[in-house]
Amino acid sequence: MTTSRQLTRPKALAGLGLVGFVLLLGLVGPLLAPYGPLEQIEGANLVGPSPSHWLGTDEVNRDVLSRTLSGIRLDLLVVFVAVPVGAAIGVLTGLLTAWWNVADVLTQRIFDVVLAFPTLIFAIALSAFIGPGVWTIAIVIVALEIPVFGRLVRTSVRTVREMPYVEAAQVAGAGPLWVLRRHVLPNSLEPLTVQLAVSMSVAVFIEAAMSFLGIGVQAPNPSLGSLIKDGTTLMYDAPFLALGPLALVLVLVLGLLLISQSLSEAHRD
Amino acid sequence: MTDPVGSTEETGTRDVLTIEGLAISFAQPRPAVNDISVSIRQGEVLALVGESGSGKSMTARAVLGLLPPGARASGSIRFHDQELLGLSERELSQVRGRRIAMVFQEPQTALNPVRTIGWQLREVLRAHGSISRRDARARALALLEQVEIPEPERRIDHYPHQLSGGQKQRVVLALALANEPELLLADEPTTALDVTVQAEILTLLRRIRENTGTSILLITHNMGVVAEVADRVVVLRQGDVVESGGTAELFRAPEHAYTRQLLDSVLTLPEAGDYVHSVPGPEAPAEHPALSYESVSVAYGSSRRGRAFPAVTQVSLDLAPGEVLGLVGESGSGKTTLGRLAAGLVPLAGGTVRLDGEDLFAASAARRRELGRDLAFVHQDPEASLDPRMSVGASIREPLDIHRVGTPAERAARVAELLEAVRLPAEVARRRPRELSGGQRQRIAMARALVLKPRLMIADEPTSALDVSVQADVLALFRDLQKEFGFACVFISHDLAVVNSVADRVAVLRHGEVVESGPVAQVFGTPSHPYTQRLLAAVPVPDPSRRTTEQVVEANRRRAG
Repeated sequence: MTTSRQLTRPKALAGLGLVGFVLLLGLVGPLLAPYGPLEQIEGANLVGPSPSHWLGTDEVNRDVLSRTLSGIRLDLLVVFVAVPVGAAIGVLTGLLTAWWNVADVLTQRIFDVVLAFPTLIFAIALSAFIGPGVWTIAIVIVALEIPVFGRLVRTSVRTVREMPYVEAAQVAGAGPLWVLRRHVLPNSLEPLTVQLAVSMSVAVFIEAAMSFLGIGVQAPNPSLGSLIKDGTTLMYDAPFLALGPLALVLVLVLGLLLISQSLSEAHRD
Repeated sequence: MTDPVGSTEETGTRDVLTIEGLAISFAQPRPAVNDISVSIRQGEVLALVGESGSGKSMTARAVLGLLPPGARASGSIRFHDQELLGLSERELSQVRGRRIAMVFQEPQTALNPVRTIGWQLREVLRAHGSISRRDARARALALLEQVEIPEPERRIDHYPHQLSGGQKQRVVLALALANEPELLLADEPTTALDVTVQAEILTLLRRIRENTGTSILLITHNMGVVAEVADRVVVLRQGDVVESGGTAELFRAPEHAYTRQLLDSVLTLPEAGDYVHSVPGPEAPAEHPALSYESVSVAYGSSRRGRAFPAVTQVSLDLAPGEVLGLVGESGSGKTTLGRLAAGLVPLAGGTVRLDGEDLFAASAARRRELGRDLAFVHQDPEASLDPRMSVGASIREPLDIHRVGTPAERAARVAELLEAVRLPAEVARRRPRELSGGQRQRIAMARALVLKPRLMIADEPTSALDVSVQADVLALFRDLQKEFGFACVFISHDLAVVNSVADRVAVLRHGEVVESGPVAQVFGTPSHPYTQRLLAAVPVPDPSRRTTEQVVEANRRRAG
């Protein structure tokens, strides 16, 4: 009810527009792309932006625009699949453990340990075991989001369970699961939506950082992060290579942050 | 009302403070204060009376420039000949604390918990002029003596948490009096206190006025308090002055309908001697009481570490079906704990609680849930007693949903039925709690409590957070519902008059023990225990010709001595 109203504010509209733009590019982009992402074009080595190659070509004669358009898909997967999966697991864990003191203490200490670990160190360590790749990125993001959401929802459980309306339900015979589903979850949705938008923007960052470090998506497959990495190695010869993917990361993160900001502003009103 | 109230009545004394045509507005449609004109003479106690939203606190805050951000004030507030509205912060600080001081409602938060009270008094003294450490301490001691704190030499080095609520409020008064202000603004100074303590603070206020000639602007919603201390009264309603005049005249012959309504909604206690040995309340023919406490005890804190605090000790009480039992007592008396115990919300340390003959704490979790169908709970706080995310209809329906009673259509019909029973229109079911007033929310909470046709209701201060006129309506509704549905009820309240108006029997609690119990008319009419007598005497009577608190305080002192 309130969420639909919040999302019509100018700031939220701008954020939705930016995210929608990137989403659209990722969905229909490969159809528009003039070349295949791995296709090598005769005689087009590191040419600058031109009408035939809007973002130029790379050192092995591939069209950067086509690679960028197909690379978006991986980021969308990370943002709109990995983050929600991590969030869902985190919310469930938090809800179910926060009610019972022993389970709560155990779970929260495990969350502490996970959160205390620097994300990239964890990512590097994980890739040493299971190798780099899309799955590694997904696991890192899911593992990171579980404690973030678990802790957030746990705070709500602890606050809401003390409320008189919860007591009234308990006195009427409601069990913990009833209270969690009917009272706690609805009352913690607002902070959760804000956190979801923030986490999505962080996920874009993590993908870019992991691919940049070479422990994410592997050549020759493109992703925004790996394209930026490729671009920076040739920064002096062909500064245009990294610009397109960088701009897209910027647009996506900015859009998500605008959405989360307007959501949290609306909650304060 | 453009004439400052009372400024023409007497010419002998001068006005200390004159408020003329004060208006305060926020970005809301209705201004918080519309048009208020009031004046206070030297050495006078003027009461600003009104319900929530009347603008009484805003008026006092405007005097010291303490309005919340976004508020715009217009009109005039003159202190002697100085205009206070529109003064800079710097100029205001010359007036604040030094010439006009303020006492707030909550002594708990008005004192700094990490400093001794002596430190806080010295701080105030030194803020307004250079005074040596030694002089400051001497002055602080004198102030503590003035507010009648026992053993000031020892107390001066105590921290706020070592003092009782009443003593804290005395310290707050001492802080306000430190720089000998000409005017004291007291915003509900006794509302957070127990009645016996309230009586003492009111007496102290009167004595301060007599000894120092300080004028006092007293803000309160309690007509009894007004009758006890005020010289003149100004009745406010929705930002306007409704009526004003001398306390005695106003109570004897209120002119405005709203003033009469306010006075009529004040609940009174039976007079000593009113009680005739009549037939006692509903005799219990049933074999099982609806609820019985058999020498129950409750302790808070860890008993393993031997630091358990006994909240209730060895209490035995029976409640017949259809009977209303009032539990009264001051804070810490264990009345709320007893109520929560019947709902199984606090652990039992000893004894037995029986619901309809069945041992509640021996029952399995599933059986306890079943027993819950016959029991309902109504909370004090109308803000928090309904889930803000659920529609009112869903809140009332919830117990039916929990026990899967009936079809969705039958449940909706039952909700409509109950809304009618609590006299609210059916369309309220679709609204959210925040769209409703406090009184409406308490009606909804009662409707939810009754939806499963319980045989026992626990009502924990259900009307304490409401304005007096709303409280009167809700209590009348409660009596009707009780008659109609015939449930037994444990009615918990600190307000003796409220209990008197709804209960059949009453139990007076003190420090977790039952001091006295019996039919209401008997306990309140001819109290046999000294504590009950003291409690009854401390209730301010809304009749200025019978100022009783002085005697109570004397009795307290004799008892202490």
